[in-house]
Amino acid sequence: MVATSFSVLDANIRSSAEAATEFVDWYYPALNSGKSVVSGYINNNVRYKEAGHAPADICVNGIVVPTPDEWDSMLEKQRYTAITSKNTVHYIVESYDVHVINPDYRFAAPADLLPPTSGLESQRARENKRLEGVRIVMMLTVSGTVHFGTDAKDPVLKQHFNDVFILVPNWDVLSRAGSRATRRYLISSHTYRAY
Amino acid sequence: MAPPTGPRGGSARTTAPRSSRGGGITKRRAAVKTDRDGDVAMDAPAGGPDNAGGSGRGNHGGRSGGSRGTSRELTRGASRTIQNIKAHLNRTTLKILGLRESKAASNSDGGLRGLVEFLQRKVKGNHPIRISKSTLNGDYAWISVSKEDAAVLLKLDGYTYAGAALKISETSEKWPGTITISPQAALVKENLIKVLANRYNPEQKLLDLSALGGDDILKSMNLFEGQGTAQKAFKALIGTVSMQYDNNAEAKKEAIESVSLARNGLSDVNQVFTLAIELPGLKRLDLSGNSLDTLAKISKWQHRFRDLQELHLTDNPVMTQENILPELLQCFPSMQILNGQQVRTPDQVVEALKALTPTPIPQFTSNVRDGENNVAAIFLTNFFPMFDSDRARLAAEFYDEDSWFSLSVIPNSGRPLPWKSYLKFSRNVNRISSSRDPNLVKRVFTGGSMIAEMWKALPNTQHPAINNPTMWLIDSHTFPDLADPSGLGATAGLLINVNGQFEESDPSANLFGTRTFSRIFILGPSKPSNPPAKNPYRVISDQLTLHDWKPQAVVAEQAPVINPTTAPAANPGMTAVTNPAVVNPVVTYPAVNPITFNVEVPDDMKARLIAELSQRTGMTAEFSELCLSGAANWNFESALKSFEDLKANLPTTAFTGNA
Repeated sequence: MVATSFSVLDANIRSSAEAATEFVDWYYPALNSGKSVVSGYINNNVRYKEAGHAPADICVNGIVVPTPDEWDSMLEKQRYTAITSKNTVHYIVESYDVHVINPDYRFAAPADLLPPTSGLESQRARENKRLEGVRIVMMLTVSGTVHFGTDAKDPVLKQHFNDVFILVPNWDVLSRAGSRATRRYLISSHTYRAY
Repeated sequence: MAPPTGPRGGSARTTAPRSSRGGGITKRRAAVKTDRDGDVAMDAPAGGPDNAGGSGRGNHGGRSGGSRGTSRELTRGASRTIQNIKAHLNRTTLKILGLRESKAASNSDGGLRGLVEFLQRKVKGNHPIRISKSTLNGDYAWISVSKEDAAVLLKLDGYTYAGAALKISETSEKWPGTITISPQAALVKENLIKVLANRYNPEQKLLDLSALGGDDILKSMNLFEGQGTAQKAFKALIGTVSMQYDNNAEAKKEAIESVSLARNGLSDVNQVFTLAIELPGLKRLDLSGNSLDTLAKISKWQHRFRDLQELHLTDNPVMTQENILPELLQCFPSMQILNGQQVRTPDQVVEALKALTPTPIPQFTSNVRDGENNVAAIFLTNFFPMFDSDRARLAAEFYDEDSWFSLSVIPNSGRPLPWKSYLKFSRNVNRISSSRDPNLVKRVFTGGSMIAEMWKALPNTQHPAINNPTMWLIDSHTFPDLADPSGLGATAGLLINVNGQFEESDPSANLFGTRTFSRIFILGPSKPSNPPAKNPYRVISDQLTLHDWKPQAVVAEQAPVINPTTAPAANPGMTAVTNPAVVNPVVTYPAVNPITFNVEVPDDMKARLIAELSQRTGMTAEFSELCLSGAANWNFESALKSFEDLKANLPTTAFTGNA
């Protein structure tokens, strides 16, 4: 096996940071505005499902949550008060960090994202920067504070939260050139703790 | 009159020709006329000290009042404000001694105006100096000028003015008596305080603001005539209350528990809304004898007075409405007494308050699903003592050239320990501006030797024993997305999320204390090598987050029984465990046993399980207990299974027949 070269390492570091930022910028605003986060999980992705990937492992405060929908409803329950469920819980991200834990992930990958096998293909690959730092599995940790109560500045209760995600490529989105808006990486594992 | 729009509208954007145009802009540029604007103190009326801080504002207000509303005016106003700020930043203050001894001291203004004129006369240059404000304070005359003008004026040090030598010096002291209010305002304030003093009962902690319209002092001030004025007057009155307590919320709460607003002709609490902002901690409120007719007129205060226990609404039309009570109870969650009648018990209040607060997701104990070989437990049991005692060896044993380590700090609250030792390494992507930031790459430490080198720079640590469940929250599970170390295909990895704390000591800086942290490991099988790696698995990724939060002690009986059918299909365990030192039960039992993850089982239940297992397997009670309390975590089926897996290796002393 060839040791990972510096330029590849560099590309992976940078593209994982970009992907992490993109993810964090989507996930927590969704939580705060009470939107569903189900689409961020691997569970309903047909490509992974058909290739036999296990559903996302979600563990919340020490209890296994079977589906992302269940996680959604736990969040909804957490937001609930007798008066309103809107704007009652705020996740404030204070720190996140991301590592590439698999620099060459190929599970269920479409052919156009796999490494080239012929000279013609490598020509194409050189022209196609998309292959660089894309086929990666990441471990992302996010920490911050959860504010409970409608008054974000004067919360009734504050907790620390610590989220750990394993993110895998969302092949369908990645193989479409230039698409950045949708989830480029999907959650294959999610461990949540708030205390 | 039609506002000047159309042709003039566009000119706001073009700045260059401004000065050549007519009107106010030219006026600003001409120094002589600027004086007329009032910018310069010499034009201020006698009694000059009052002009402190006023010039810019007064000017601005007067002008936009004349012809407000057009975009042109707004633009001009904005640019004027910016100019004022810019000018302010370039200003300095000069103190001038000697006026007191001059002949001008007997003038009505103490000679200040004459002095300012004198200074402006004396400086001859391309432009007259601008003294934007001036005042007399004790023996000194104070003037505010631009830095350029100050340089010129300082040259006048030693000049004689009206028979006295002037001593001019620059100062960085604060402008004297910065907070001055007009005599009228002072009088209003004095009167309001008088009103409040008459109406405050310190024994009852009651502020009686009933029937304000009939108050003689307020009447004399003409404050409560007309709706708009009355609202403003009430705001001023409550504002004055706040000021008496330096706006200290606790002090206000302590001093004022009850307020009466009875008989004020209120038709909507909006008219006195400010009460909820300034005195939100009230316990009793009297609104009787007003004209509040619907709930909507009151519900604007919904959840504003969280501590309000007693409310009076008698003699308000709203009380004739049906079913008003439940609605009012909703609005005021602490209310127990309405119109003198008990409407809720203290217990019901507790419930009502609880219903208003979102409920955090319940907390359960550690959840370790690390396959059949207790990899997480064994790894952690080894890891932290080694991290505390021998980081170089730890890195060599568990990290290889592809391992990643990084740390992040969230130094957001005043813990006694400083963060200096960590900050220079902190790779908080949240604070790294772009993916081009070199720190993004520099602060990931890759490869065992680089990691070991970096660890040397971190303070000494002492983690608590891993077998103390109150000190740790550990979640772990296997996942399928790692690359197989052989180079092809995928393999299972293990994620371990550790939340805990450690004692830190930095003897060189004499710093000692406790730090709280989260640390996440990704373990994967070791790469094939010759000689084989010391451990069957390696750390692929290690992320440490230091923060200020201690995990709360978890109420163990809440721990759920995880239904294996609802959990995701178990991924294949980490089958690479081949190191005999790890699988030998004699070694692993003491290492694994102390970790009491997960469910807290009652003692009588434990005794029954031990007896049952002992009977089924022939093991002694002691070994049965070890087996159950280990990774099986008092799950009988798991314990039975691990017995089956390990029985060939168990010592004979483990069985009752041989004891």
